[in-house]
Amino acid sequence: MRALVVEDDPDLIRQLSETLRTEGYAVDQATDGEEASYLGEVEPYDVVVLDLGLPVLDGVSVLKHWRAKGRTMPVLILTARGQWSEKVAGFDAGADDYLTKPFQMEELLARIRALIRRAAGHASPVIRCGPVEVDTSSATVTVNGESIKLTGHEYKLLSYMIHHTNKIVSRTELTEHIYDQDFDRDSNTIEVFVGRLRKKLGVDVIKTVRGLGYRMEPDGEAS
Amino acid sequence: MRRPNSLTLRLILAAGLWTAFALVLVGFALSFLFRQTVERSFDARLNVLLESLIVSAEYDRKQGVYLSGPLAEPRFEQPYSGWYWQITPRKGTVMISRSLWDRELRQDLSVPAPQPHQYYAVGPDDQEIRVIERDIIFPDAEASVRFAVAAVTTENKQQVTRFVRVIAITLGLMGLGLLGAVVVQVRYGLRPLRGLQRELERVRSGSADQLEGRYPDEIAPVVSELNQLIEHNAEVLARARTHVGNLAHALKTPLSVLMNESAADQSTLGVSIKRQLDVMRRLVDHYLVRARTAAAGQVIGTRTPVSVAVGSLKSTLEKIYASRDISIVVDGGERLSFRGERQDFDEMLGNLMDNACKWAKSVVHVTITRQDGQLVLHVEDDGPGIGDEQREAVFGRGQRLDEATPGSGLGLSIVRDISGLYGGGITLGRSELGGLQAVLTLPAAGDSGA
Repeated sequence: MRALVVEDDPDLIRQLSETLRTEGYAVDQATDGEEASYLGEVEPYDVVVLDLGLPVLDGVSVLKHWRAKGRTMPVLILTARGQWSEKVAGFDAGADDYLTKPFQMEELLARIRALIRRAAGHASPVIRCGPVEVDTSSATVTVNGESIKLTGHEYKLLSYMIHHTNKIVSRTELTEHIYDQDFDRDSNTIEVFVGRLRKKLGVDVIKTVRGLGYRMEPDGEAS
Repeated sequence: MRRPNSLTLRLILAAGLWTAFALVLVGFALSFLFRQTVERSFDARLNVLLESLIVSAEYDRKQGVYLSGPLAEPRFEQPYSGWYWQITPRKGTVMISRSLWDRELRQDLSVPAPQPHQYYAVGPDDQEIRVIERDIIFPDAEASVRFAVAAVTTENKQQVTRFVRVIAITLGLMGLGLLGAVVVQVRYGLRPLRGLQRELERVRSGSADQLEGRYPDEIAPVVSELNQLIEHNAEVLARARTHVGNLAHALKTPLSVLMNESAADQSTLGVSIKRQLDVMRRLVDHYLVRARTAAAGQVIGTRTPVSVAVGSLKSTLEKIYASRDISIVVDGGERLSFRGERQDFDEMLGNLMDNACKWAKSVVHVTITRQDGQLVLHVEDDGPGIGDEQREAVFGRGQRLDEATPGSGLGLSIVRDISGLYGGGITLGRSELGGLQAVLTLPAAGDSGA
């Protein structure tokens, strides 16, 4: 999952990015409204954490700009302003959630997970695909009830694909959502990761769609 | 004793003194003129009598002066009638009117009187008399003869007294009338000042934020200066509040950073930092609420259409509680307006609806009605509700009945504070849905555009 963190305080943005990276997100950073506006418009993020008080261009304007450009990624507003009129303004601009500073990291992470799940159409934090179960809140994977150990990249890959079960996911899309902006992208590594992931899961839930990419399907058990 | 210090008194006193002085002066002048007029006409009458006395007098060497016939005035014949004549030759006998009987008018012959001349003297009855006299030299007479006519002035005096009395009464009444007019004039003239005082009172009590109305040119500059002062004061206050708000908000980011940094630290330092951070967070919240409540209800004459604001709050809360599948039902409120600011309305109803959503199992019901010029908003949920004895407790600052439910706990107390500033209020009760029912009463704005 790829996240954009927009925050002008250097310490807070470092903390947010570190925490999110630890949780398995590919994280891009923006420290002013203009940069944020550009990144959010061109990069495919799965979630955005947006501070409202930004230099150059304020958060609400950035959000309105994204929504006007048809960007629908879930956006969580993180702000010091906790008044209802400000919350309403934030939601009216197109926010999906709102968290007031000071906040607990755990709460932020829980809300981000919920946003991503909801955006993919899943209600529960546990996402199932046949025998494979991913608990997004604890980042654990089980196959037929047995826990499986995955590396960070493998988990990112599985998590993204299981959120988009039954949909074709291209290699480029996977690259975009698993690596952050600065990563040296090479689509071959995706194939390597998919191969390892298939081996670790032991069940055939990840199908290759020739020329297009991959598709995760729950009927893997049968084959 | 304090000297009475009132503009009304000053103006009335000044006008009263001046009027009294002027009226007394006029009174004296009029009575002087009248007395003179009466005297002149009296003198004219005496002069006519003197002329006829002179005309009827004859002279020959043997007899001296004698009268050729009686005078037309009968009062000369009655003794002591008050009307007298006397002819005094330098040589020979003095002739007197019958009315003088056995007296004579004292005359000073040493002063010649070739022209008629008048003076006051004391008559035979010890009454004041007016005398007119003239020296005549008959042809072939050696010396002049003095003719004198005199009459008492009692009647004149009475006339003058009557006149003075009438004048005094008239002028006195006029003075009273003028004084009354002055009082009316002063009160009318100073009425704008009383209006100004009322307006200032309204500003101080908060029901107006500027001095309204048209004022006379003399005090209009003062009013405009006062308005600027009030405006300046409000600006300073608003700036101070904004600073408090900004400071509190600005502190939240550093607080977040420190909280995150110390979250995992279980050392003594980490624990005490966390404890102090908690204190700071509560202080920041407290002062933000203070600044928020202080800024509420300040702008007069604004109106917030209820249905728009409620609609925004509903969609906001639906997003916040998207994972809980709570349905928010809004009844009524179309074409109703709240007499106040949108952000205050949002803050109050937002807190109530948020509370309801937090506790609700599945339904939050908002009903908006208008009763007796008041906006009545019912916010109900189907959650567990609050027991009767605990209801007052939830208004306490920072009070939360369930520490596990997120929220600052300041929600209900700020609702009560802000609604109080608008002259409204909030009560809690049991909802028919099973949970809590909050009833918020607020001033409604008139239906027409004002």
